Amino acid sequence: MGRLASDIGGTFTDLVYFDDQSGELKVEKSLTTPKDLTRGVEDTIRLAEIDGKNIDFFVHGGTTVINAITERKGAKTALVTTAGFRDVLEIARGNRPDLYNLNFEKPEPFVPRRLRFEVRERMDALGNEVEPLVLADLDAVVTRCRDENVEAVAIQLLHSYAAPAHEAACAEYLRDKLPGVAVTASFEITREWREYERANTAVLNAYVQPIVQRYFESLEASLRNQGLDCPFAAMQSNGGSTSFAWAKAHPITLVESGPSAGVNGAALVAELCGEKDAVYLDIGGTTAKCSVIEGGQVKVTTDYKLEWSRINPGYPVKVPVVDIVEIGTGGGSIAWFDRVGTLKVGPVSAGSDPGPASYGQGGTEPTVTDAKLLTGVLDPEYFAGGRIQLDVAAATKAMQKIADGLGCGAEEAAVAVIRLADADMINALKLVSIQRGHDPRDFVLIVGGGGGAMHAATLGRELGVREIIIPLYPGYFSAWGMLATEPRRDFVQTALGRADDMAAAGLSELFAGLREEAEEYFGAQDEVEADQLHFEFGIDLRYLGQEHWVTVPAALEGLSVERILHDFHIAHERAYTFRLDDTPVEFVNFRLTATARVPRPEVKPLRAEGCSEAAATKGTRSVHYGEDGRHEARIFDRDLLPPGFEAQGPMIVEEPSANIIIHPGQRLHVDELGFLHISTDN
Amino acid sequence: MSEALKEIDPVTLEIVRGKLLAGVDEMGIVIARTSMSPVIYEVLDFACGILDTKAQLIAQTNGITLFTGTFSFQLRAILKKFGDEMRPGDVFMINDPFEGGTHTCDVALIRPLFNGPELRAFAIAVAHWSEVGGSVAGSIAPNATEIYQEGIRFPGIRICRDDELIQDVVDIIRENVRLPTMCLGDLNAELAAVRIAEVRFQEIEQKYGFETVERSFDYILTTSEQLSRKAVAAMPDGVYRAKDLIDGDGISEEQIPVCVEVRIEGERMTFDFTGTSGQRPGPINCAYGALHSAVKTVFKSLVDPQGASNEGWFRPVEIICPDGTVFTAQKPSPTGWYYEGSAHASELVWKALAEIVPDRFSAGSYMSLCGAYVYGKDPKSGEIFVHIEPAVGGWGATATRDGTGALIATTDGDTYNYSVELFEAKFPLYVRQYSLNTGEGVGAGRYRGGFGAVREFEILADEAFTYASFGRTSEPPWGLKGGGTGSCNFMEIESGEDVQRVARIPYHALKQGDRVRVVTGGGGGYGEAFERPPEEVLADLRNDYITPETARAQYGVALKADGAIDKAATDSLRAARS
Repeated sequence: MGRLASDIGGTFTDLVYFDDQSGELKVEKSLTTPKDLTRGVEDTIRLAEIDGKNIDFFVHGGTTVINAITERKGAKTALVTTAGFRDVLEIARGNRPDLYNLNFEKPEPFVPRRLRFEVRERMDALGNEVEPLVLADLDAVVTRCRDENVEAVAIQLLHSYAAPAHEAACAEYLRDKLPGVAVTASFEITREWREYERANTAVLNAYVQPIVQRYFESLEASLRNQGLDCPFAAMQSNGGSTSFAWAKAHPITLVESGPSAGVNGAALVAELCGEKDAVYLDIGGTTAKCSVIEGGQVKVTTDYKLEWSRINPGYPVKVPVVDIVEIGTGGGSIAWFDRVGTLKVGPVSAGSDPGPASYGQGGTEPTVTDAKLLTGVLDPEYFAGGRIQLDVAAATKAMQKIADGLGCGAEEAAVAVIRLADADMINALKLVSIQRGHDPRDFVLIVGGGGGAMHAATLGRELGVREIIIPLYPGYFSAWGMLATEPRRDFVQTALGRADDMAAAGLSELFAGLREEAEEYFGAQDEVEADQLHFEFGIDLRYLGQEHWVTVPAALEGLSVERILHDFHIAHERAYTFRLDDTPVEFVNFRLTATARVPRPEVKPLRAEGCSEAAATKGTRSVHYGEDGRHEARIFDRDLLPPGFEAQGPMIVEEPSANIIIHPGQRLHVDELGFLHISTDN
Repeated sequence: MSEALKEIDPVTLEIVRGKLLAGVDEMGIVIARTSMSPVIYEVLDFACGILDTKAQLIAQTNGITLFTGTFSFQLRAILKKFGDEMRPGDVFMINDPFEGGTHTCDVALIRPLFNGPELRAFAIAVAHWSEVGGSVAGSIAPNATEIYQEGIRFPGIRICRDDELIQDVVDIIRENVRLPTMCLGDLNAELAAVRIAEVRFQEIEQKYGFETVERSFDYILTTSEQLSRKAVAAMPDGVYRAKDLIDGDGISEEQIPVCVEVRIEGERMTFDFTGTSGQRPGPINCAYGALHSAVKTVFKSLVDPQGASNEGWFRPVEIICPDGTVFTAQKPSPTGWYYEGSAHASELVWKALAEIVPDRFSAGSYMSLCGAYVYGKDPKSGEIFVHIEPAVGGWGATATRDGTGALIATTDGDTYNYSVELFEAKFPLYVRQYSLNTGEGVGAGRYRGGFGAVREFEILADEAFTYASFGRTSEPPWGLKGGGTGSCNFMEIESGEDVQRVARIPYHALKQGDRVRVVTGGGGGYGEAFERPPEEVLADLRNDYITPETARAQYGVALKADGAIDKAATDSLRAARS
């Protein structure tokens, strides 16, 4: 039997098949089919010649949710709020991050004012009912929704994170009166405080729900048609998976499923390599994403904001999302001069259409990929395994614009472009590592995505990590990461209280409540057995008066307030350089990460037959290594490198989905599993 | 590094620029995450920067705009005093409005950055402490008449020696503020920020060498200056004037005339406030540091809103204002509510230039942060609570769209309003309403202004006190090109049957059950209202932004009984008015 992972990206739909018996991996790519996404999935399964009967696990990730939102193609959605708070979505947080722009426009709410309704009711911050719910107020809402052909309704009432009864009653009422309309109550998605954030989360869930429901239903039908009769899992944003059924009702939890699969894959790579702490980097066409794995754990937060940038407040979504920092520099990023002749790279990208100039599809702007070609890192004859012939003349012509501006040759211009792109990526990597109190010397850098491998050795060296690891099939890394995913759900409950008023019994009770919820959730999922469940508890704490908290892990056994406080002071000092022993401490959120420890694929050692240094050697070529200058580099075919192989840079390792550079002064080691390890000599 | 690369030095300089900016960003992250005061972590009332040894600002990160022009003045004051005796591990502290600062609550920490014995640069962090003592909790009494009522003043002192806090100074602070834990927490947050700056600066110097870093300083300033000069040169030469009225100073409600004359000559721009009223007895005054920030904020939005701030941008700028005006108040004038005064300096410049840069500026906005302090004793904990929140309001319409509603004023920036849920969990206050202010309306026009907001809360504590200072309470936001004026800000206090509308109130006792309404105005309109397409007026009606009466009276749009537009009646209404 085998496992199948399918990942729909912007350009390609990737498939990775893992044969449980032989340990063999099979990969396939086909163009994404935006009009009917299920077709791309079907195409890859057909191309890979996989028999559906042999699949006992299918996991799927994709861009349906995020595309519906960014393209504003979701359902017509209404919002019900507590009376007096109709405008919560439009007032938002009132912030103006683009602070010198006196022509600032706020992000437009996803529900117009005429579809925002009020219901009389009120809870207070302690969860007590202050005013009873007047369900009859909803009758007018029902009529308006019918008249306006509303397809989805979100409900957000004040303090529902603490006391969801009114929201639950409204949801039940509306589901009954508006059959066929998708109804989302905010507490069903998040139990954290802050009404705007919760309202926006509920609204976006409702907004995509009808679309995702249709999509998953059609995908299910298509998969069954191809003979798959195993359970289907959907990749979530928290690095774990869930059932299709749950995903259909909570689609917003899938918003970053692709990137989260990549980070999840990186966690697996770290584990297989015996590493606890890692920085993960994925360089795509328009952006680079990075994330940190600490103590073997993927870092998950609920501070995610869609469409956020330094100048855009974005839309907060309070669902657990792998903590990713994204910057606007990728392989397709265009180099340009600003008005006073300063060279910049990105954020505008040539994307995949027309793509970099060297793709020969009509692109004329110089990109990072073109620069990699002109410096010799890419082989024009062996891009994508030789399937795409790169056009050196077109790349040179495009880069000449930069060369003219700098007064140098095209190759030197290319070096400049790469150095600037690398500098942007380094700043992002530092943001997730050093700036969050980590010492990079304790970390390895793990690279996913085809683009990352071309930059990894340079970035890893500057960041000062111990080692750079390039896993198998970096170009299929998200799908590969999905194969190893476990069913997971994160629970967060805001319950504010001072340490003085907290007792171990109270903490246990809160955690027991969360655990009960988790057991109930997994109880409804057929393929998970109770004895597979694994729980990790945590508490968000802060000094009284602070806003930001530190999450401290909590063990149920021997749980005591003193122990938690002791750990908190240490964690705070580590994160923020100081501790305040005499200041009262506040408990804010209680967290539970529940995972089901289902069997995972066993990555088998690399087969050595036919592999040798001689077989892998493709010759040499002149490569410009940026600050290290030009060198004659040895070129190797990755697929033919034997396990245990060791060599000294400068060299380039090529594979169909990636080119890996190794600087002079760096050493390559191929491990038993076929992962590449690059270290820098001191 | 190869010879060829040495010639492409601009790339290295650009990389160093990126690292310096990442450094000041990190300082900001440290402050926002470690601060104890909501006004810092929610309102982001702080800024961080790196300056060279000549006190030129090289890189800055701001949570709000009010600190755009203060750092250089403050560092110069420190240099004048301690220039010869600075040592590694020193940190200095300054909050004096008359030494380039703003008000006493904004406490700046300055750390000289050394490499061995060599002074390389300075790091500065400024943040609004919730409390620095003085006559009222929160330290900015709306009726202060001398700065001595506004808390403790640090005229530029040493706070750390050899990286250790000087305990005598800490003790003085602890005993002179009402919320010592919070204040010392904020002090710690700022210390952590300037300390991380030194670590990062040393890393950059180690990798690139000081010569390169020093050249990058010059490069940063010069490239910004060039961009700035180009932008100014692209604007039509001329003299542009604007006048406005400040609604009272806290002591009296008398309106205070202020004015500006902006002269554009080639690549230079002069902002001349001569003719502005003299300094006032009340704390609406600002000193020259705040005036510079106000002008530079608007100038920056003119030349390049997104570029990282540094001294270079402002080299083409000259600011003229005689000493002793409401914008250049002298010691010992109170300056507690300086931002309510300096906001007018910003808006004057904006108003003077609005017609020549329609793509950058809107019509007038609600402008005032409408800050209201509420404090008292929390019946649950028995502790003192102090709540202060800047209010969001309506911005003006532009040449291409309606104004933005419920947005924070120019003086602030990435400033968040208070979540109602968080607010109620934290304070003995109960919010009854937080909605758009459709009642008072906005400036009508081809494009209408954005809506203000209404925040109404009830006092749950046995007793509490409030003081507040609201601007634009009788002089409404201005319209552009025939657009209507917006609506005014006000605060309303309801106690039983008694309802009073107030603007700047010094001290007011509240009792349990009293309700406070903070109401902000709508922005000014752009263009003639009857040129607004009837469909857009109808959309506003369907969204309950306006009433049928407003549609008819302000926009000349009549409706049929079924709610659709009555075209004939609309045409005749509009014809009659044009």
